[in-house]
Amino acid sequence: MLHSVILSYITFFYFLSFLFYLLMMVMEKKAFGQIATIITLTGLAGHTFALIVRWVESYRLDIGHAPLSNLYESLIFFSWTIILLYLLMERRIKNRTVGTFVTPLAFLALAYASFSDNVSSEIRPLIPALQSNWLTAHVITCFFGYAAFALSFGISLMYLLKKSHMANIKTGFFNLLPGAGTLDELNYNMVIIGFLMLTLGIITGSVWANAAWGSYWSWDPKETWSLITWLVYATMLHARMVRGWKGKRLASLSIIGFACVLFTYFGVNFLAGLHSYAV
Amino acid sequence: MVKKTSKPLWDFLSSVRLTVVLLILVAITSIFGTIIPQEQVTATRFARDLSPGLLNLFNSLQLFDMYHSVWFRSIICLLALNLIVCSLDRFPATLKLFRLTPKPDRSKPFEGMPPHRVLTIEGGLKETTDNVGDFLKERYNTMVIKKTDKETYFHCEKGRFTIFGVYLVHLSVLIILMGGIIGSLLGFNGYVNILEGESTDTVFLREGMSYNDKDLGFGIHCENFSIDFYDNGMPKEYRSDLKFIMEGKTVKEAILLVNHPIKFKGITFYQASYGSLAGDKALLKISNAEIDMHDFTLEVELGKPVPLPGNGARLILADISDDFMNMGPAVKISIMPEGREEISFWLFKYQYNIKKQYPGIFDNFPKLNPSSYKPYTFYVDDIETVYYSGLQVNKNPGIPLVYTGFFTIIVGLFVTFLTSHRRIWVHITGKPGNISVKVAGKASKNQVGMEKELDRLVTSLDSCLNPGREI
Repeated sequence: MLHSVILSYITFFYFLSFLFYLLMMVMEKKAFGQIATIITLTGLAGHTFALIVRWVESYRLDIGHAPLSNLYESLIFFSWTIILLYLLMERRIKNRTVGTFVTPLAFLALAYASFSDNVSSEIRPLIPALQSNWLTAHVITCFFGYAAFALSFGISLMYLLKKSHMANIKTGFFNLLPGAGTLDELNYNMVIIGFLMLTLGIITGSVWANAAWGSYWSWDPKETWSLITWLVYATMLHARMVRGWKGKRLASLSIIGFACVLFTYFGVNFLAGLHSYAV
Repeated sequence: MVKKTSKPLWDFLSSVRLTVVLLILVAITSIFGTIIPQEQVTATRFARDLSPGLLNLFNSLQLFDMYHSVWFRSIICLLALNLIVCSLDRFPATLKLFRLTPKPDRSKPFEGMPPHRVLTIEGGLKETTDNVGDFLKERYNTMVIKKTDKETYFHCEKGRFTIFGVYLVHLSVLIILMGGIIGSLLGFNGYVNILEGESTDTVFLREGMSYNDKDLGFGIHCENFSIDFYDNGMPKEYRSDLKFIMEGKTVKEAILLVNHPIKFKGITFYQASYGSLAGDKALLKISNAEIDMHDFTLEVELGKPVPLPGNGARLILADISDDFMNMGPAVKISIMPEGREEISFWLFKYQYNIKKQYPGIFDNFPKLNPSSYKPYTFYVDDIETVYYSGLQVNKNPGIPLVYTGFFTIIVGLFVTFLTSHRRIWVHITGKPGNISVKVAGKASKNQVGMEKELDRLVTSLDSCLNPGREI
């Protein structure tokens, strides 16, 4: 199908933008960064187009629904939210180094969707449990949350690298990185966005579950893991706001938080439960 | 008062260190329940493979129902208590801060301010002061002025309420927990299967490991259950046509679909599952090897004898099985010939496949042989199936509270993280013809946004005070 072909090309676009962001850092030439941004923007445009094509295609098949209903669709949407959120951030902070750490995540998500045998790109109709307007709200909020946490993860890596690098300051690679204070602040802001979105995601899921199964919370593994993720980031926010945690400790918590996000997203599929259709 | 009499306990319960420890504890212990099966069937299977000692440990820690265990609930309770004490401990100070009358004539906000935040005005002092006052009044709700002959200080602010955001978030968590408690104390979760065309007025409640009946006080009648499929065979719609009956009269008719529950008398019905049972009718196809005639079909009903065409014998449908000897659906028929002994045997629905899979089975077992009554051979053409609709039947009076908590936690988080308390100080001083207007500001968060707001403010203040000048 057209959209899946486009998406497999976009995968390479994102890999290419990663290479250019990397080249910018290694060569310390901002021009490479500008090229990387153009490639990423083009990729996002094509990506958006492909999502729309898939959406329209589902209506042509008479099973119309937003492309947010299975693992393939969630992966391509996850990749899209990462890139969108990243480009918005790049515009705001006017520093392109974060791209080196974030575009690989979007690339990996898209590559997994496009090239894994476990992920079917076929457009399938919605089973009765998924036929709800809450589906769209739930998936969109969750994945914007995940994307913000992905960005926070990338920024945390940068922070830890920057700190470990302080000892041998001569390497060129790190020169374009923003200051540690800026990274810390940026990280915190991303966690706030992610936390808001995850809260919305859990709530919309909860209201939906109550309409579909008569229980707004049933301790199903995915629910529980989303709560665990929420608790990790809640801990992080408390540590920061009340106890004044900053720097390395916060960056490490963010990395643990993102590991929980990944487990909520992928790992839980090995545990089975109400979300089994997302496998 | 509490604070003074039991200070160590109060301090312990009001510490954020405790909050962080409890949050991490809930997160870590929650993991167990996602690894150890929590449902009866899977938990029993899991328990079989444990050593007796380990099984004892698991049971005494209630690990097979850990989210409802005493210790897990205790952690949640302690977290709730921590939250309450924390809020009570800090709220008076916050309220005091909120009510505090700001001091406009402070010099600290103006320390280290960039030069472009100072405007020089050629007008008079009083005129300029009035203009600045009007300008600020238009933009800010609260303004405090401190005036002397030589100088004037203005203090304006917005978003003072933002310090309450965090209390709203914590209150919401308590509201949600309260909703959960009310739901589990006053509500129930039940289920019932109703056959098409039948009614019931009781549902079954799962309470721990036992099941109890619950009388609803009204009847539910399942008129019809249907499944609709997509072209590729995936299910599209599960639908039950229900009637609610009180004192023998239908008071409500409704269509129940997945994601579209029905509420009746405070009880909510959900389309949860379905299944089928063999009914009490079957359609038989019969061939006669001696007389060269067409196969004919015969509809039979359980326990009602019918004459076998072309013969004086009578045929009776004796039994129907959904799955006989693990070889699929089957019916048992008895044939009573005139003056001879009765013959009974089973007929499999998938006779042809079974014959292929187990060659000779019918010759060896006359009780399974469709040709046991010669010269006839019997086939099962169809067995009537009756669907039943599986309904989840709940009452949860905690829902309004839980949803209120959902709403307020979102509002609280937005107030906490996305609004900030912004304060502006303006200082006017100088001699007529050479008036200096200084603008400074401070925000509780997002100082970058504050700086941008200050820049905009200074620009429009400049064009307001110096209307003739080109910018």
